[in-house]
Amino acid sequence: MPRLISPLVLALVGTILFGDGAYIHAKAWLAQVLLERAFDRSIETGQVVKPWSWADTWPVARIEVKRIGASAIVLEGTSGQALAFGPGHLDRTADAGERGVAVYAAHRDTHFRFLRNVAIGDVIDVTRSDGKRFRYRADSSAIVRFDASGIDPATGDFELMLTTCWPFDAITPGPERYLLHATLIGDGE
Amino acid sequence: MDNYDTVDSHEHPWLGRLIKVGLFLLAQSIAVLLVSFVALLVSFETSWSATTEQASLLQPGDAKSGSLLLKQDGAYTEAIRLGIDVDITVSGPTLRTRVTQAFRNPTRDWVEATYVYPLATDGAVDTLKMVVGDRVIVGDIKERQQARIIYEQARRDGQKAALTEQERPNIFTNSVANIGPGETVLVQIEYQEPIHQSGNEYSLRVPLVVGPRYNPAPIVQSVDFRKDGSGWGATASDPVPDRDRISPEVADPARSAPLNPTSITVHLNSGFALGEVKSHHHNVKIESPDNRTRVVTLADGTVPADRDFELTWKPVAEKAPSVGLFREHVGDADYLLAFVTPPAAEQATQKPLPREVVFVIDNSGSMGGTSIEQAKASLLYALGRLQPNDRFNVIRFDDTMDVLFPTSLPADAAHVGEATSFVRALQARGGTEMVPAMRAALTDKINDTNMVRQIVFLTDGAIGNEQQLFETITAMRGRSRIFMVGIGSAPNTYLMTRASELGRGAFTHIGSVEQVEERMRGLFAKLENPAVTGLSAKFSEAKADVTPAIIPDVYRGEPLVLAAKLDKLAGSLEIKGRVGDRPWSVTLPLQNAAEGKGLSKLWARRKIGDAEVARTLREMAPEDTDKTILALALDHQIVTRLTSLVAVDKTPNRPDGEPLKLSELPINLPAGWDFAKVFGERPQLTPTQLRERRADAGQPATRRPAPVTPDAIRLPKTATSAEVKMIAGLIMIVLALILFVFNRRRTLLTDAA
Repeated sequence: MPRLISPLVLALVGTILFGDGAYIHAKAWLAQVLLERAFDRSIETGQVVKPWSWADTWPVARIEVKRIGASAIVLEGTSGQALAFGPGHLDRTADAGERGVAVYAAHRDTHFRFLRNVAIGDVIDVTRSDGKRFRYRADSSAIVRFDASGIDPATGDFELMLTTCWPFDAITPGPERYLLHATLIGDGE
Repeated sequence: MDNYDTVDSHEHPWLGRLIKVGLFLLAQSIAVLLVSFVALLVSFETSWSATTEQASLLQPGDAKSGSLLLKQDGAYTEAIRLGIDVDITVSGPTLRTRVTQAFRNPTRDWVEATYVYPLATDGAVDTLKMVVGDRVIVGDIKERQQARIIYEQARRDGQKAALTEQERPNIFTNSVANIGPGETVLVQIEYQEPIHQSGNEYSLRVPLVVGPRYNPAPIVQSVDFRKDGSGWGATASDPVPDRDRISPEVADPARSAPLNPTSITVHLNSGFALGEVKSHHHNVKIESPDNRTRVVTLADGTVPADRDFELTWKPVAEKAPSVGLFREHVGDADYLLAFVTPPAAEQATQKPLPREVVFVIDNSGSMGGTSIEQAKASLLYALGRLQPNDRFNVIRFDDTMDVLFPTSLPADAAHVGEATSFVRALQARGGTEMVPAMRAALTDKINDTNMVRQIVFLTDGAIGNEQQLFETITAMRGRSRIFMVGIGSAPNTYLMTRASELGRGAFTHIGSVEQVEERMRGLFAKLENPAVTGLSAKFSEAKADVTPAIIPDVYRGEPLVLAAKLDKLAGSLEIKGRVGDRPWSVTLPLQNAAEGKGLSKLWARRKIGDAEVARTLREMAPEDTDKTILALALDHQIVTRLTSLVAVDKTPNRPDGEPLKLSELPINLPAGWDFAKVFGERPQLTPTQLRERRADAGQPATRRPAPVTPDAIRLPKTATSAEVKMIAGLIMIVLALILFVFNRRRTLLTDAA
């Protein structure tokens, strides 16, 4: 029997580790479902609706890239906890549709996995929690260090910046970030 | 049955085992399959919803590190050039600054230039002049939209136009349309600002760093005069540190691009005999026409605009005047500016007031990671600083709340020890219900007026119901003072500043564990030395509109600065408060006020700040606030978020190709302005700060070079450990299986043998 113990322990640890990783994905996916609901209610009621009662963040916008059929609900703030559930709207940056630059960040392996497929010229639709829709066009991208983003929060234009970790397929965290820049081209239809 | 089974297993001893093994393997593989299936489903959810069409236009791999993949219409070497001249005249309590920006177009195209630049937060911008050739066009104040329309119209019509807009209270934009080839257009803006006083020292500060800075706004905005007080080296003992200097957002010079050459001249008319006059970051030449006047110029002529210019001066006398009273008559009203430094000398020798300190720490989920570590370290430091005669309590909250002691207890070793272990055990989780915690902290159970009551609130402010928190503070603040400590890389600064303003306290920002000690020491200097509390101002005869509406605590050596609009200049102003444990009051007869300049604008600027506060308190509807601000701004001709200055040159443009020569520049170029030096061949005058578009392009360019501002925004970490974990987990499971099968075989073989 003692021979059985080491493979059993190994299998157990492996399963836990695997489950832990899977849990991150499951959480990210489940949260988006709940957020989707909360966001729809936000739009209906015009109030901030928390996706679950103990949440300390709330949905602020939906971003959609119709060409590749991707969509995600953006949360207020970019604390580690918030990013587990959805893309975060960076504090101190403008709201979508306002003068300035709205910066949304999300994990490269969950909610912004689709970012690699977004091409320059793609239309990005942003729906705010007040129901207003804005249409952006992706016009440039860049790789920057996290602490030298070069984002000008006081820009006079109406801009959108989506950011995630770079490189996309790395499995360890690094200092580089991928920036996708888009400029407002009009209200949504 | 039992018997049969036993017999059976005895007959085939290894068959039973084999079955068991098979069952185990089956269960194991089902579990693994289940988990992996769920994981796969989740992990590829986004990929499934996204069709696998390849991104054809852009390969992110092509992007070079640090570069923006932007198509540019023109080469940067041909960029518009900018030179800046700053001319400051200090007259007594106020200073007037004239910023001249020379936009030179060395290209062969007609261009429009946009320049974003910082100004002092409490400055009132009231004048815009555009100098084209020998003509000076004076700008008018208009509602923002209207000004924009006028400007766009002129731009389309090929007229020269300049527009000054406020982007943020301390960030402005100048746009200049139709700068001809080889032409130079000068744009001048002027603003009025109060001087800053701290103890014996007076100071002014000119922000020159181009690009947005995200300094947390000064603690109590209405008294930001004191922000320049310390950090000058000489006054290290000053209780209130300089917010700008200690803010982590200060640009790293090593990373900032070369900046626009700037020349600076200060005409200093202090109104008293001057002692030491000192520039802290620039080499200067100082001339002394007489003992009350100095003329300060840069020793090197021009400097790159890469740091703030700071000048301090002291009177010859041992002590600075403790009272200053200035008046200005504008229209049918009198404006008053009062500086009162409460007596402070003996305060230093007095033992500090006993205090009751309530620490509130946010341990909600959003504080997870380094934030909670910083908060805990800060709180532990604070606990260590308590004196035995202080009383204290600790409250922690997420979506639940714990109050450590039923009532505040003396800070003896036992209680501090208990609190320390309480804090050490905290973990970040749950939601953020801040209001009950604030309410508990504000509940004044002891109500001992001989003690100073202070609340130190450590949080990242990640809540959406700020308004509710502000209302709680306004309703319950009583005699408590609220000191907000913003934790983490991006705390809700709006919440911090407003809460501390309403709570008559201060805001400290801690962005990393390394900063904890320095920042908390600064905070404790404030906590331990409140010089004057419970301040109020009363005019005996005149009807007065006083700003700030809430008079904040004044710390040791700092002046109280009040601005007021009076219906008549009669009677006196009485200021009352408590210095330490004694009542203090001072009466200033208004008749003795000296003539000052631009006081009405300073008053208006501060009233606008008050209106913004009132709006957040819902004392005023947003529309009313806007109306108030608009009225004040139009009345006093100042630029606000609702008003802009616009200047249009109606005269037809000079024909193409005729360059504006240097000699054509107007004579009102400020003294000290050395054109050749200013425009000397500094390579690449940062096109990044200077966004331009070609006038003949018609439409505004959809894309502009994104300004490379040094780390204004830090991007969060956006990778999870999910994949590493899953891969490691899979490897281990496979290993386990191999080992298991291997073991099994060996067992079976030995058994068989």
